[in-house]
Amino acid sequence: MVDAQLVAAQLVAVLARAAGLEKALAEFPEDVAAAAEQGLGNAGRIAYPTDPAAEPWPPMRPGVGL
Amino acid sequence: MSGDLHWLTATEASRAFAAKRLSPVELTEALLARIARLDPKVNAFIRLDAEAARAAARAAEAEITAGRIRGPLHGVPVGIKDIIDVAGLPTTGHSKILVDNIASADAVVVAKLRQAGAIVLGKLSTHEFAIGGPSFDLPFPPARNPWNTDHHPGGSSSGAGAGLAAGFFPLALGTDTGGSVRNPASANGIVGLKPTYGLVSRRGVFPLSYTLDHVGPMTRSVADNALLLDAIAGHDPADPGSAPSSARYFGRLLDRGVNELRIGFVRHFHETDIPATPEVTAALEDAARILQAEGALVSTITLPSLNEFAAVNRVILGSEAWSVHAPWLRSRPGDYGQLARRRLMSGAFIPAGDYVGAQRRRLQMIAAVEEVFRDVDVLICASSMDPSSRIEDAVETARTYPRQARTPFNVTGHPALAMMAGLSPLGLPLSVQFVGRYFEDATVLRVAAAYERAAGWQKRHPPIG
Repeated sequence: MVDAQLVAAQLVAVLARAAGLEKALAEFPEDVAAAAEQGLGNAGRIAYPTDPAAEPWPPMRPGVGL
Repeated sequence: MSGDLHWLTATEASRAFAAKRLSPVELTEALLARIARLDPKVNAFIRLDAEAARAAARAAEAEITAGRIRGPLHGVPVGIKDIIDVAGLPTTGHSKILVDNIASADAVVVAKLRQAGAIVLGKLSTHEFAIGGPSFDLPFPPARNPWNTDHHPGGSSSGAGAGLAAGFFPLALGTDTGGSVRNPASANGIVGLKPTYGLVSRRGVFPLSYTLDHVGPMTRSVADNALLLDAIAGHDPADPGSAPSSARYFGRLLDRGVNELRIGFVRHFHETDIPATPEVTAALEDAARILQAEGALVSTITLPSLNEFAAVNRVILGSEAWSVHAPWLRSRPGDYGQLARRRLMSGAFIPAGDYVGAQRRRLQMIAAVEEVFRDVDVLICASSMDPSSRIEDAVETARTYPRQARTPFNVTGHPALAMMAGLSPLGLPLSVQFVGRYFEDATVLRVAAAYERAAGWQKRHPPIG
């Protein structure tokens, strides 16, 4: 039987290391876990556009602000 | 001139300077004395630069006496949030990370204020890097609410809001990425405007989230807010987010009233999306009734849900802030306070596709708000859903901080102003928010001025000193 909490903790550790957060993971593991919960906790809360033509904001504006 | 100089607005001080009833030196000395007496309770300042302020006050006094008056801010003291550069002073972001970071030049907004003759008093407390909340594990103590120093003053422009309410200065500059000008305006009973995105340069301001960051004027009166915006607005070709707008004279509509103005009331924000406390709900209904009595045509309108706006703001802010802070979070995680460390690291876990998706949804949300502005001129809605909580109660602060309706207008970039709309039974400020069309910041200030005249809350001050 798979321990879901253990798998989640291992997944967070893998993602944290991939982001270069080894030091934070060693010194502040609870903060890394809380950050992961915040960062991954937005699923289902945004109705992402389904129209492939829906562009992001802000748009590219060549020459503006350069 | 005698009396309570510390409650003078910039407008009143400027008139008194011109009439030779008051001098910039006299006003600056009165405020410095008050700061020395009361700031140990409020912690509005990280760095007070009293000698530079005295020198600037003497210079302003000499120019005014000689008849060379630069404008309405000449000789008026101002406080600057400590993520905005003031040449020669540290810009710490209230963080150990930047505790020795001396700014080599003024931010554009500070340079503009100096050009207008304003007197920079010093650098003001903030939540660490303008994110997180009131924290006790940073190099400087958190600001406290002058209405009751056991309570927090909101944030992240916490020292600006607290210092204005305490009578330390009549003008302050804050920044607003998810509500950080309007939260302390709400908690401290002052006036805070997040201008239209791109109206005010952010060059020389430490970034939190490039597409959400705004610099905004914070004051005790609406007229002062317009004057401060006049001084800092304007196109900056070196700020990629700066808009080539010629909008100016933001106080030109202040006396026009709201007769026949169409105001859309976003009731679902505080009634169903994030239900407000009964006292906040009553204050909002009162504000709408007051504007209606002044001749406004108030109707109920619907926008996308507050919770979705908040999620879009969170994903964008988290991703962009991570790109700013990743090097330090990797090498010096222990030099952040816990609240900021957690919030800033959250961006490491947001998939890139979610960030782009949030930016795509953002454009649809902008379109939804723009559609509403075809039928109404201004929106009225909640700012905070609760009065401020006790500063030592981390659990209650964490529960109530996200209960707000400010993030929608960081996502869309529309101008939005928060101001006092009452007092809770515990004597803490309640608030209301007004929102306008792009670059119609003057119309937002017009509605706020009409409300201020009719409601009169700006005459109330905290029972401190």
